[in-house]
Amino acid sequence: MLFRVDPASSVPLGDQIAACVRGALADGSAEPGERLPAARELADSLGVNVHTVLRGYQRLREEGLIELRRGRGAVIVPGVAAPDRARLVSRLREAAAEARELGLTEAEFLELARTSLG
Amino acid sequence: MNRATPRLRALVALPFVLALAVHLLLFARWRDELPAELATHFSVGGEADGWTGRTAYIVVSTALFLGLAAGWTAFVRRRYLWAAWATAGFAGGLLVQLLRANRVDEFEVQVFSPGMDLGVALAVAAVAGGAGWALGSLVPEEPPAAGRGPAAAGPRLPLGSGETARWSKDTGSRTLTVLAALALAAAPVTLLVVSWPDALLGLLGLVIGVPGLALARVRVTVDRHGLTVRSALASRPRVRVPLDGVEGASVREIDAVTDFGGWGYRVRAHRTGVVLRSGEALVVRRDGGREFAVTVPDARTAAALLNTLAERHGKV
Repeated sequence: MLFRVDPASSVPLGDQIAACVRGALADGSAEPGERLPAARELADSLGVNVHTVLRGYQRLREEGLIELRRGRGAVIVPGVAAPDRARLVSRLREAAAEARELGLTEAEFLELARTSLG
Repeated sequence: MNRATPRLRALVALPFVLALAVHLLLFARWRDELPAELATHFSVGGEADGWTGRTAYIVVSTALFLGLAAGWTAFVRRRYLWAAWATAGFAGGLLVQLLRANRVDEFEVQVFSPGMDLGVALAVAAVAGGAGWALGSLVPEEPPAAGRGPAAAGPRLPLGSGETARWSKDTGSRTLTVLAALALAAAPVTLLVVSWPDALLGLLGLVIGVPGLALARVRVTVDRHGLTVRSALASRPRVRVPLDGVEGASVREIDAVTDFGGWGYRVRAHRTGVVLRSGEALVVRRDGGREFAVTVPDARTAAALLNTLAERHGKV
């Protein structure tokens, strides 16, 4: 799996790391059930703080894409649905970013999302 | 390919020839004072506890020098010339001290002082190593072969100027895993079922199983440290090619049997490899022209990132 982070980007480093995993899952270069690198190891490779990596992993867990277990590390959730879920989360994040650019408030965005659900 | 020049090879063989000559000369000179059976093995305390006949001794010691000379001449590189000299100095110093220890009157015990005699041999090795290092200046630098260097063609992975990246992949061999697990399982079974001391053979299962299992699944990583291949279970053992040592990376289809003569950690004349299957492999050309290969899926991304990082590392 390829991780890349750019400190010059306006996107927080933790989010960049999370985006790498989502992208890898979506394009098949990471598979459901695959173990992510240990946070300490990844932080050393990329020259970032361990907490930055953990923040990224935490976000992925909130999105239901990985499981974090004490002693087992971070594992991509098993099951064939994981890549599709990763794509969905990516598109949602894009939509949220677009809404922010348009000046929508959080409530307005959520209302819009609820309406889309029908 | 080993590009050692004839002059370098001659300079490598020289100390062994010198050591052999000195050793033979002293043997001939001290011949009358040496016993029929030379003490050739000593206890930790320094007392002789193993003996060898004169003829056997001189044959074995000569073969030792010639063997060392042949090995060093075949594989030497310019920057290791000093080590060849140090090796010859140590072997020569040790054997001369051994001869000296044998120059005793009848019924006297041959004594080899570990501190003193080993110290002398080490001192001789240091002096010889220094001489070899000085002689290195007589040999021209090895010319870089054409078409090498990080600028050589190869896949690239475009990165922003401040952007860092890391690629890693776990890869393994199911067959190796099963075989290693079987060897491990055989160890306790043998120890329990078979009577002593034959059961000690069961320990072979551990000797084969533990490294086998460590190698059966490896993690291949490319990052700012270079290329690292290590057991997926533990951080050691590992093989690392630092960015400094990377001249270029590429992807190649590898056949385990015809290219490397089997599976596992393979060493060939000018290439080494961690070969767990036949198929796609990341091949790194190291400085000095040797190659390191590791069979891994998605090797193209790995090669591209390694080329990009090595190139950037060279610029900084």
